Amino acid sequence: MEQRLANTWRMTVNEKKFIETALLSDLRVDGRRPFDYRKLTIKFGREDGSSEVQLGETHVMGYVTSQLVQPYRDRPNEGTLAIFTEFSPMADPSFEAGRPGESAVELGRVIDRGLRESRAVDMESLCVVAGKSVWAIRVDLHILDNGGNLIDAANIAALAALLTFQRPECTLGGENGQEVIVHDPEVREPLPLIVHHLPVAVTFAIFDEGNIMVIDPTYKEEAVMGGRMTATLNSNGDVCAVQKAGGEGVMSSVIMQCLRIASVKAADITSKIKDAVDAYNTERALRKVKRHPPSVALEVSVPDVIMKENQVDELSRHRAQNLKDEPERSCSNDGTSIGVEISTSRGKNNAFIGGPSSWDPYSKGISSCFIRSSQDLPGPLYLAKEQEEAKISQNSIESDPEAANTLSSGPVGASVASQQANSPKSLKDAVKPKNRKKNKASSTSDMS
Amino acid sequence: MEVVRADGRTPNQLRPLACSRNLLHRAHGSARWSQGDTIVLAAVYGPKAGTRKGENPEKACIEVIWKPKTGQIGKEEKEYEMILKRTLQSICLLTIHPNTTTSIILQVVGDDGALLPCAINASCAALVDSGIPLKHLAVAICCGLTETGSVILDPTKAEEQKMRAFAYLVFPNSPLSVLPKAPSAVDDEPGIITSVTHGLMSECHYINCLGHGHAACAKISEFLRRSMQTQLPGDLSKST
Repeated sequence: MEQRLANTWRMTVNEKKFIETALLSDLRVDGRRPFDYRKLTIKFGREDGSSEVQLGETHVMGYVTSQLVQPYRDRPNEGTLAIFTEFSPMADPSFEAGRPGESAVELGRVIDRGLRESRAVDMESLCVVAGKSVWAIRVDLHILDNGGNLIDAANIAALAALLTFQRPECTLGGENGQEVIVHDPEVREPLPLIVHHLPVAVTFAIFDEGNIMVIDPTYKEEAVMGGRMTATLNSNGDVCAVQKAGGEGVMSSVIMQCLRIASVKAADITSKIKDAVDAYNTERALRKVKRHPPSVALEVSVPDVIMKENQVDELSRHRAQNLKDEPERSCSNDGTSIGVEISTSRGKNNAFIGGPSSWDPYSKGISSCFIRSSQDLPGPLYLAKEQEEAKISQNSIESDPEAANTLSSGPVGASVASQQANSPKSLKDAVKPKNRKKNKASSTSDMS
Repeated sequence: MEVVRADGRTPNQLRPLACSRNLLHRAHGSARWSQGDTIVLAAVYGPKAGTRKGENPEKACIEVIWKPKTGQIGKEEKEYEMILKRTLQSICLLTIHPNTTTSIILQVVGDDGALLPCAINASCAALVDSGIPLKHLAVAICCGLTETGSVILDPTKAEEQKMRAFAYLVFPNSPLSVLPKAPSAVDDEPGIITSVTHGLMSECHYINCLGHGHAACAKISEFLRRSMQTQLPGDLSKST
């Protein structure tokens, strides 16, 4: 017990007095005005339904998952939405692992009231078979850093995660049409949730016996404040929830003023959330348009574990180090050893003219076809994800005929045939004239 | 026989590594380590007074809390906590701050295979960020054994499920010595801090995995050293 008390952070009397006195002259410690929010950044993870929100120093992560369950008996044709808040011990030295404290429970309940009871998320669209199986949406909110005003940040994280979440599509099938088949996201496009409106929480801290209200308190202001009020509103001006649990008494005129300010702030935050979600959706759509193997070692300026010449003996594998699958496979299929080192950190064009140290004619074949592709392709030749797919198909066409000329192996021919079938004819026009003859010659020889 | 991996890597190629430190404001040290899509965020709260019941009060005590992405904390999380605790105990200098507890909290941000090695690397970086005295760093890698008997490094989740066996290996980081070393000089037997295996593998396969893992850890420790040198210490005044 003593060690817990020794570890809690306590505010000094000087700090307390300073914050209170400064607020009397409308000054806040971090330089904000009383009704200013801190900087809000909303980021999304790679998966659908994961969001990271930073409000000043406060950092919250939201994660949405779904599961098919049996509905509640009194609501047989509605899905369920559950909010779980985790006050991680990493956020604050006073948070403890295990049972959630009262502030964690309060946060969960405020967000729950704002989202679920205001019917922001459409529950009836989550019903699959009435009375038997519905979708249960679970929102996990992880508080990573407590810089104050956790309710607002967690609410934004929950909203952002719900807006980008997509649940798998399911149809009824089976013998009597009662079995629910959940489709893989690769097979059928997953569906987003239907969100009618966005309830945004705005928290006010009360100082000086109810006379001074400030928005978005930091954790130091929270330690000094006399009370707190949270208003959850949406951009239509509807009040979804108001939470004022004890604390200093405030005059009703002040509360009305706060609600008016909160509606302005809520509209502002709603537009920020929508912008972030739109940007993520367009990026996700772009990612889906061209399907390609996830590229390796693009963003990081660190070379991967590359087969250096001396390690090659040790690990007994010689391979053309390549970030493209098909041309690599087709060119080196006969097992000749090519030691090409590629380090993506050292610039883009070098990767293709990587230093082949062996005398093997293949090495020249690979590098020359890369050079050719670099000349033919429009736009910059860095290994951007969007262009990799186009380059793979183009390179395969260009490198395969050359490979077929110097080497007539079955797999190469087969791969040439398959890749030629996949690519449109216009790619062959991009090949230089001297190769066109080789193309025709090889294609006839391979097809026969 | 060559192994072709789903994302185009060679058997000995790791996913892109990224490490950023000093992300959280309240924690004494924090680090975020990502290997491809597996991302773990680690935070350290430096020596707090008192040890827990049953721990040796003459030494510092390490406490690990593992937070999964979703769901309740179960046996798997407890196992990870135990492995991490033992690993980190062996690298920390425990006698410098006796009768104290250092807590390390890990949050899984993304899980795409090799989760425990990523967590170990993240907690090491977080310990460095918080200034806890360490003997050396621990560098972790996951080596998998495919059906055909070849070793692949840093498997993704899909690959892990298809593999015959895999091993999480933790090595001390390779030292940077002032004396020039002959390139062919082989170190003494690599000291393994931790080894956790899943599945059935023969002895020679395991030794093979150890060799691959040790080579890979040399690369990772180079990356770690470089990332720690380039990042400036951000906010030096960390108020509790």
